[in-house]
Amino acid sequence: MIYLLSSWTLLLALAGQEPSPQATEHVQAGISAENAGQHDAAIAEFRKASELDPNFAAAYVDLGAVYMGEGKYEEATATLKRAVLLDPTILPAQDMLGDALLYQGYAAEAIPHFLAANDKGAMGSAQLETGDLSSAVANLQAGLAEHPNDPGLLFSLARASGLLSRQAKDALIAAHPDSAQAHAAMAQDYWSLKQAGDAEAEYRKALTISPNLPGTHLGLGLVYEGTRQWDKAEAEFHAEAKLAPGSAEAAYRLGNSLLENGKTRAAVAELKRANSLQPEMPETLYALGKAEAAEGDLQAAESALTQLLSVEKDSDLARQAHFSLAGLYRKLGRAADASREMKEFEAMKAADK
Amino acid sequence: MRNILLLAVLLITVPAGPAFDVGKPKGIDFVLENSPTSQKYLVETMGGGVALFDYNNDGLLDIFLVNGGGLREAVSLPESFDRANPKYWNRLYRQNRDGSFTDVTKAAGLASAGSQNYGMGVAVGDYDNDGYEDLYVTNYGHNILYHNNGDGTFTDVTKKAGVAAGGWSASAGFVDYDNDGRIDLFVTRYMEWDTAHNKACGVAFRTYCPPGAFPAITNILYHNNGDGTFTDVSQSSGIASKKGRSLGVAFNDCDGDGFQDIFVANDGMEEFLFHNNKDGTFSERALEAGVALSDDGSVYAGMGVDFRDYDNDGKPDILVTNLTKQRYALYHNDGDCSFSYSSLQTGLAKLSVGSSGWGVGLVDFDNDGWKDVFAAQGHVMDNVEQIDPSMRYKETPLFAISQKGQFVRADSGATIPVAGRGVAFGDLDNDGKIDAVMTVLGGPPQVFHNKISGGHWLTLTMIGTRGNRDGIGARVVVNGQTEIVTTSGSYLSARDKRVHFGLGAATSASVDVFWPSGTHQVLQHVAADQFLKIEESRTP
Repeated sequence: MIYLLSSWTLLLALAGQEPSPQATEHVQAGISAENAGQHDAAIAEFRKASELDPNFAAAYVDLGAVYMGEGKYEEATATLKRAVLLDPTILPAQDMLGDALLYQGYAAEAIPHFLAANDKGAMGSAQLETGDLSSAVANLQAGLAEHPNDPGLLFSLARASGLLSRQAKDALIAAHPDSAQAHAAMAQDYWSLKQAGDAEAEYRKALTISPNLPGTHLGLGLVYEGTRQWDKAEAEFHAEAKLAPGSAEAAYRLGNSLLENGKTRAAVAELKRANSLQPEMPETLYALGKAEAAEGDLQAAESALTQLLSVEKDSDLARQAHFSLAGLYRKLGRAADASREMKEFEAMKAADK
Repeated sequence: MRNILLLAVLLITVPAGPAFDVGKPKGIDFVLENSPTSQKYLVETMGGGVALFDYNNDGLLDIFLVNGGGLREAVSLPESFDRANPKYWNRLYRQNRDGSFTDVTKAAGLASAGSQNYGMGVAVGDYDNDGYEDLYVTNYGHNILYHNNGDGTFTDVTKKAGVAAGGWSASAGFVDYDNDGRIDLFVTRYMEWDTAHNKACGVAFRTYCPPGAFPAITNILYHNNGDGTFTDVSQSSGIASKKGRSLGVAFNDCDGDGFQDIFVANDGMEEFLFHNNKDGTFSERALEAGVALSDDGSVYAGMGVDFRDYDNDGKPDILVTNLTKQRYALYHNDGDCSFSYSSLQTGLAKLSVGSSGWGVGLVDFDNDGWKDVFAAQGHVMDNVEQIDPSMRYKETPLFAISQKGQFVRADSGATIPVAGRGVAFGDLDNDGKIDAVMTVLGGPPQVFHNKISGGHWLTLTMIGTRGNRDGIGARVVVNGQTEIVTTSGSYLSARDKRVHFGLGAATSASVDVFWPSGTHQVLQHVAADQFLKIEESRTP
């Protein structure tokens, strides 16, 4: 995180504080020093300002910001606490103080400061550490709405969701150890550890108890898919698709397994169904393109792959789609198009490296 | 009546029981000594060449097996692999009339493989057109050309011929790339690697390093000068324009222009297709041809290769073996050397996704007129189960029957998983059915004696007169099936030079031979179930 200095000083000046001219000069000198990368000089100037005017909140905020940038969280905490004591309405100071506390493991103490700063994402991160997982998930999602794709928030949300899921599973297994749901939950855990045999056994137990438990055939199919047992995967995905005809994922997985098993005609039908259930899912479109090509319908394959490229441009699937299109165009005798697609493919491959 | 006929067809196309008797014929006592160490020298896991050829022209196929060598934990320079020790000799086994074999290695003059050579593969061809098949043995070290003297002995003529190469050679093959009537020699090389520069790879467990850990290297093309010498034309021909990590090589004429093209299987990088420009040069065009990568545009670990027409459309297709999860790559030739990936729709993807393949062949084992698939299998890493429990180091071979171009797993008869490597194909007992010999790391070879009943056949021995004597490169069309005369393909191995066709229910055949010289020869109403010699017409 980058902590900017000068704006807070300005805000404080606008708020009507009237620091002494000498203190203000030292703050300005500190800002210049910090911007020049002279951290020690900046610290000395902000300290001097706070000594000259002990009630000059901005000097503490700026000093705290330098400490934060330096990773000196203990010093930052003391300094920022003084700042918010002098003026609790300085929201950046509240936010930084929350960060400083959180970095040191004082999550509960950080929460009121994040609340004061109205920083939902940071509050969610702190709640994750205190174990208030459902609040954490809600706040992290709200934080992500304000800062989409923020890596820190995404990481915290993934952790919080995982722990919440774990909590729920533990509760399920403790309360209903012999239920189909408990066996399915254990199967998921085993599979996340890549213990395919145990995962398969638990899914089988779940299905013995409750043959129609939603998602169980799908989960078992994924185990078979992951261990390249495509015949068995197809059977499980087929069972899931029959139980849940509206599930686009079940339809996609079934279509893909049919393709892997060389049943290209059936794969085309199922993947078309998946695409109608959830249009423009890139994985479905890619598999559909492959299946159509394998069936010899090159125009349909081209359509699926170009549709994929209209919704996805920079992913692995997009790169693969360009490669597949090059092959299709070559087969269709469209040399210029093939060359164009191959260039796209090679450019994306080079960018990956 | 109709039902009875359908049943008969079914019996022909799907063997009811094991297709082969699997074992080790009497007299073969070879063990492939790869000498695995805790240092995981990559060479330990890559060897295992085998050749089926009739070295003494007695009408029976003999077996030549390439051995590895002795490796110690700490190899000092200059390297020595103890090849003078009989344990590490390559071996030539002469087939006797009763199907047993006699070790004739020493008498044939093949015992010495060079102490600084760790053995890899073998190529077979009559390079001097004297009517006797010669041997070219590849090594990590220097390669050896053995001239067949015609009296049961061989002479090392490497120095005179100028074909020692150097570095780490893998598969090699004879091909008459310029149709001058003399077979030339293509040698793949794996990588720039030596024992002194071995690397430690793996995290929890030490493993063999991936190929990308070492620099790529060029392959070699030797032009046969016709006087017992060869000239290295790798640079002038364009072959050396590309560096690879090459293992398998196979030849065929993918665009029907009368000149042989070259497919090279590379490990962990794009495959090569060297298109013959008909002027002594080649252009590498695998990417444009659609054979450089998998269907997803990914590189894979290309190992063995065959270059033949699997769907009887007259155009040679390409089959490449690779590692678990990658699926063996089958490329259908759409014409003019343009290919499309067809592993999924032929069923081969499903059959191979869980396996690691090496030597491979498209061979009509059940004589139904459609080429089946046989592949030696086993992972590179001997501790792969510790890294991924879903993978296996030792496997039984893949045997898949073709049902008009759709591949279905069938019972090979092999029950004990092994680390398979090279495979050579040929009719060992001259019963009209193709057998296979597969090498096994650290063990004896497995001989797969074909016992599938049904189906007529025709096996042709080609004798070139205007072109090379073996007829290498001739295209033969029999009852709509197309074959190429070659001993190359698979992995590190050489197959019987005779050309075999399954004829199904047909009791006669029409035979079209397109010789490399340009001669087109037609034979009509050829009776089935015979071995036939076809001599090239001396006039065009």
